[in-house]
Amino acid sequence: MINRTVQRLTVKNGAVASVELFEDEGIGIRVIAGGAWGFAGVDDLSGPSIEEAARQAVQIAKASSRVNRVSVRLAPAPALVGEYRTPVVRDPFAVSLDDKVDLLMRTDLAMSRLPQVRVRECSLEFVREVRHFASSEGALLDQTIIESGGGLDATATSDDDVQTRSFPNSFGRHQICAGWEAIEAFDLPGNAGRVAEEAVALLSAAECPAGTMTVILDATQAALQVHESCGHPTELDRVLGHEAAYAGTSFLMPEMLGTFRYGSEHVTMTADSTRAPGLGTFGWDDEGVPAQRSLLVDQGIFTGYLTSRETAAAIGQVSNGAMRADGWGRLPIIRMTNINLEPGTSSLEEMIATTEHGVYLETNRSWSIDDRRLNFQFGTQNGWEIIDGKRTRLVRNPIYSGQTPEFWGSCDAVAGLPEWQMFGVVNCGKGQPSQSMHVGHGAAPCRFRNVRVEPAR
Amino acid sequence: MSAGDELLALGESALASLKHGEAEVVIADSRSELTRFAGNEIHQSVAERYRHIRVRLIDGGRTGVGEVRGHGEQALALAFDAAEQSRRVTSTSDVSPLPPGDQGADGPVAFAASTDSATPQDRAELVSTITEAAAAHGVNAYGALSTATTTTAIITSAGLRRSATSTQASLVSVARGDNGGGYASRHSADITALDVAGLAAEVVDTCERNQNAKEIGPGDYEVILSPYAVTDLLEHLAWVGFSALALQEHRSFMRLGERLMSERVTIRDDARTDDVFPFPFDDEGVSTRPVTLIDRGVCAAVVYDTPTALQDGVASTGHSLPQPNTWGPLPRHVAMDSGDTPWTEMVRSVSRGLYITRFWYVRDVHPLRTVITGMTREGTFLIENGSITHPVKDLRFTQSIVEALAAVLQVSRERRLELGEGESGVLSPWLHLGRFSFTS
Repeated sequence: MINRTVQRLTVKNGAVASVELFEDEGIGIRVIAGGAWGFAGVDDLSGPSIEEAARQAVQIAKASSRVNRVSVRLAPAPALVGEYRTPVVRDPFAVSLDDKVDLLMRTDLAMSRLPQVRVRECSLEFVREVRHFASSEGALLDQTIIESGGGLDATATSDDDVQTRSFPNSFGRHQICAGWEAIEAFDLPGNAGRVAEEAVALLSAAECPAGTMTVILDATQAALQVHESCGHPTELDRVLGHEAAYAGTSFLMPEMLGTFRYGSEHVTMTADSTRAPGLGTFGWDDEGVPAQRSLLVDQGIFTGYLTSRETAAAIGQVSNGAMRADGWGRLPIIRMTNINLEPGTSSLEEMIATTEHGVYLETNRSWSIDDRRLNFQFGTQNGWEIIDGKRTRLVRNPIYSGQTPEFWGSCDAVAGLPEWQMFGVVNCGKGQPSQSMHVGHGAAPCRFRNVRVEPAR
Repeated sequence: MSAGDELLALGESALASLKHGEAEVVIADSRSELTRFAGNEIHQSVAERYRHIRVRLIDGGRTGVGEVRGHGEQALALAFDAAEQSRRVTSTSDVSPLPPGDQGADGPVAFAASTDSATPQDRAELVSTITEAAAAHGVNAYGALSTATTTTAIITSAGLRRSATSTQASLVSVARGDNGGGYASRHSADITALDVAGLAAEVVDTCERNQNAKEIGPGDYEVILSPYAVTDLLEHLAWVGFSALALQEHRSFMRLGERLMSERVTIRDDARTDDVFPFPFDDEGVSTRPVTLIDRGVCAAVVYDTPTALQDGVASTGHSLPQPNTWGPLPRHVAMDSGDTPWTEMVRSVSRGLYITRFWYVRDVHPLRTVITGMTREGTFLIENGSITHPVKDLRFTQSIVEALAAVLQVSRERRLELGEGESGVLSPWLHLGRFSFTS
């Protein structure tokens, strides 16, 4: 049973565009009957309604069992009892709406000084989810998850171009499991003027150079690269074909575990749902499996998957706790938790200083990858050309592309813990019916050699 | 009392307690079920029921919105309370007024009792038609069959009172052999009209033809795009350019009155035709009017909601999303006019090119230039001397949609109703394009 409260505030071009307050409560019931799964969710929490949902779930399972030849088999998991709550310094729901609007209006004002900035938009979002999980195996778990997010976009236009810069991340906001203190740390008003200037500067910047060159990604873009090229292909349900008709499959097959070279020795990736303040941080997943840290890629070698009790059983393992549902009305499926590129020993300054020719790319603008998660192309909001160890001119419309193992295999430096940061992705789509999940990614700036770069024409 | 009348009565009773200002109450009851299959087995089958209540309050020049998913008077009261909390902190400028109550007679609604009453057993049986066809050919089927019934009611203090109940049935399938796969989908308001046997034959046939694909280099190719692929182009055009707000904010490629595409290209939005899930009104309750967006290659018009219509001094075309919003209006019943050539003849007219079954993971790279990128998936074939000769490995494309539609050589006589990634209906033909750019 899940109760979700959402506050979403948006200021656009000097006015409060919307203040949306959303409440949602319901129950989802998942059953195995006749060896098949059935699921029903309902928002009417009266006794008869819940009983009807349970009956419907059983009816659905039995209908499926008439078609199926193979029964569901689950890996064992302990039946646990406990409570978990996101640690926050200041509950964001205790901060007044007036204070939130005031912060956004100050942010907007700071972006408003340049007439070329035609569209200014900034927003805050706060989520509180109270989740109760019980199973017929005896589990009884209560969790309260709190998220705080915020961000700004400055869009500058000229007669023949449109350029947007965002902060702290693109697509609306940067979101983490934390309280109001996170919003204060973002300092949206303090960064708004600089970001607006960057959007205007892009209008007259040179097009990104084309060629095969060195690429340095900022931490936000590295986070999305991890999401698309490591997070998704390590989802074991994709490997087993459960998503073949929609999200796709994976190039990482079980026989590759422990031997396949996914990246260079600088590349270690983990799934870590214990790592605050990522959006994949919780006490237990939606099968009651406890939060934990798993190695996915160890110094370049592919070593693990994200699993559920059913999929783990298929490869002789136990679940590492990656089953998550987008609300009470959706079946839990394998989702990313916090998928992290572990920090290295370099720094952005050192990477630039030791690059002869390349580009430093900041903040995602577009992303696309094939259904097996091999062939990717990303665009970023801006780039800086690097020549002889110096960051030189600003360039616009950069895109870069490659194949996942070759790309991560060309990684020769990852910045260390001082530049490592946890980011959130709040629109990770998967499943039918569609589920949008909030997941976390810790990342730091990192460098890749011999990457194809060009401008978006 | 119909489901719509029940929701209208509920909304009216809630509005009766409004002491000052204006209000809009939107109540939607949704019931959806979906059966998903993988490896010729049903692995997920689900059902969901909920009521969504949305209240917009306008008073003292301020607008507030509250949303609740839940039942009973308490849920309505919660939505009103949230809207009032929201209203108190919003700005006193830029309030969009409620549309007038009289919106004329309702147009058609996509509804079929067969979809509304479909059971898990019905869905399992239809799915087994596909899994058995796949098994008979030694391949595996994957996919989903979904049904949904939604009743939506909009009631406002300006006297607007509208409701409609719609249904949708959607079947999507991939078949996979040892070295390649195929794709097919069917969508209709009526589950009995889905042509499941036709889908099963198509997906298995495409899968069998798409085995052991050969490498082909990137570059510019003449292409035949199936309706699955054309749908992606039309949907992305709608997102980045057909909105009045995008035009007002100088973000749209549309230059009204200028010809940017081939004269063979006419694109409309028409929520009244039975071909594209008809629905009579938008999220403000305004009747959705047909709009010709591209007329024989010329940028003809964009769609409006109330705020953008006020800005331009015109009437809303009835394409609003829930107000207020920062997205602007959106066409959700897009159709490209058909041509007069059977699509199989279009293939015969290609001396060397590619047949593209579908695109995947299409994203905007440069919205103003309508540049998108994505991959081909589950059925990319080489055409040589008018015949499809062999499958080729999937390719990445990076291409301006406007430039692609400027190079239209032929439009097929046949069209298909598809669902875009945004789950709106799109009526798409096959297209023969003179040039399409594949980058890797």
